[in-house]
Amino acid sequence: MELLRYGHDAWGAVVVNGVSWDLLGVAFGAGVAVVVVHAVRRLLGRKSGG
Amino acid sequence: MADQNVDSLRRHAAPDRIFHWVTAATMFVLLGTSLLPIIGIRFAWLVPHWVAGLVLTAMVLFHVYRAVAALNLRAMQLKGADFAELKGAKPGKYSLPQKGMHVAWMVVVLVAIATGLILMVKAGVPFLTRNPYLLQLKTWGLLTLLHDLAALGAVFLVIVHVYFGLLPEKRHYLKSMLRGNVSRAALAKDHDLAKVERGE
Repeated sequence: MELLRYGHDAWGAVVVNGVSWDLLGVAFGAGVAVVVVHAVRRLLGRKSGG
Repeated sequence: MADQNVDSLRRHAAPDRIFHWVTAATMFVLLGTSLLPIIGIRFAWLVPHWVAGLVLTAMVLFHVYRAVAALNLRAMQLKGADFAELKGAKPGKYSLPQKGMHVAWMVVVLVAIATGLILMVKAGVPFLTRNPYLLQLKTWGLLTLLHDLAALGAVFLVIVHVYFGLLPEKRHYLKSMLRGNVSRAALAKDHDLAKVERGE
């Protein structure tokens, strides 16, 4: 998985163009992970009467 | 605090509720116009993107004005004492997670605005002469990198913020952002009403 997007300047040198859009899935997945972990803890807390 | 009574407290005044919902709408437009093309849904995204960005900028300026002129900055300020909540202490108006969410949004939105306003010179908008040579290519790349990171941060924060806003036990926060008031009984479960009354 790439972390950055790259391009070239007029002299052929590599320049950073931005974030790799592979990370879009990571950001989305991290958000969903927080939701899932909290939802599971909440469910377990209810079952144990906490 | 106006509009308070025996049963309820005014939590969010109308201008602040309008700020919240307009900001939320612009955030969805900004994320939709920037990220949908990336996942293959192609359309003319640039104009709605910069228009929404300018609306967001105006709303943030309005919010800063409100925070300084009309709101109690102390209530949202993250302090060392807030971490006593981890040991069971009840917070004032805003809890530690709420203050943390505010700081996270502040960083993401300010980075997005600061970089986005400069990037408009490169992209070209009707009221600015397009000048892609204003900065070096690597500097444009760095600004785009920061703008992209702000977008990814916003994706994460939107998911978390919407989830917690919709939880049944947090529903009174959502209702107060819609109607302005919150019941004292609901707030007292997780907040120290004496601190709230003192503006903490």
